[in-house]
Amino acid sequence: MVAIIDPDEDLVRRVGQGDPAAAQALVARKLPRILALAQRMLGDAVEAEDVAQETMFKAWKQAPRWTPGQARFDTWLHRVALNLCYDRLRRRREIPTQTPPDRPDEGPAPDRGLMAAETGLRVGQALSRLPDRQREAVVLCHYQELSNIEAAALMEISVEALESLLSRGRRALRQSLSDLAPRAPAAALRGEAR
Amino acid sequence: MKAQRLHALAEAYGADLRRWPASERAFAESLIAADPSLKAVLDEAAALDALLDAAPAPAPSAVLTARVLAAAPKARSRRFHLDRLAFYLGAGWAAAACAGVVAGVGLTSELTANERADAVLYQSSLTGVDDTEVLR
Repeated sequence: MVAIIDPDEDLVRRVGQGDPAAAQALVARKLPRILALAQRMLGDAVEAEDVAQETMFKAWKQAPRWTPGQARFDTWLHRVALNLCYDRLRRRREIPTQTPPDRPDEGPAPDRGLMAAETGLRVGQALSRLPDRQREAVVLCHYQELSNIEAAALMEISVEALESLLSRGRRALRQSLSDLAPRAPAAALRGEAR
Repeated sequence: MKAQRLHALAEAYGADLRRWPASERAFAESLIAADPSLKAVLDEAAALDALLDAAPAPAPSAVLTARVLAAAPKARSRRFHLDRLAFYLGAGWAAAACAGVVAGVGLTSELTANERADAVLYQSSLTGVDDTEVLR
């Protein structure tokens, strides 16, 4: 069996012993990451906060009994957050809302895509329109920067299936955002986003 | 065939080779070095990457951070450990006492039963004495 190198191992151990500095460091390291994951999966800031909070609460419970070497803590945290996201997505499907979710205007607009903030909004909307599994694949690989093996394991699919979801997801995104691409030079957008 | 694979990988993972499967990175680099026109494949993927990166990640609010930190595990005091030790010792003594009582009661009733059986046997051997007198 291959030993798993976990960069969070020491921090988690210290959190489990009740070290407040370690808890603070873990929050600084993981909370933004989990919040971003939830926000991109759910497209709702309030729900994303709830998921991030619940995930971190579960992390606090897990820390004292965390067994190093079995899995990476970050992967476990993603699994918890994704489960919570899927619970909420399922509930949304079971209880359809009266007002449909905000859909962007598909027609051309002269000023659309000129500002990064607007572009960000459009990307968020395009992402939320993807089928759940395609969105999960794109979020895990592009935004969370998990390796293909980690992402496939989290999604409980093969690497080939992951690649297929990624390709279909990115193709759909390219199509949704096609009106933005010519006006948004890659380097400029990248510069504004970072 | 190799160019097709490059297309497929760029389509799935984008232009940044750090997101590619580790085993495929060298393959991509060598392919592009051999045929620089294939770099267009990565450029096309880079345009979408740039759009995706334009979506900002939300920052956790101070309130959320404080709520999460407030629930973090706390170090247990020495007093807590001593109290817990005292509790377990007390519980151990109480359990031992209960076990002693139960064993004592069981043993006593067994001994009494033997004595009674002996008495009945003795009584049956006394033919000349009336039963009611023996038992009285």
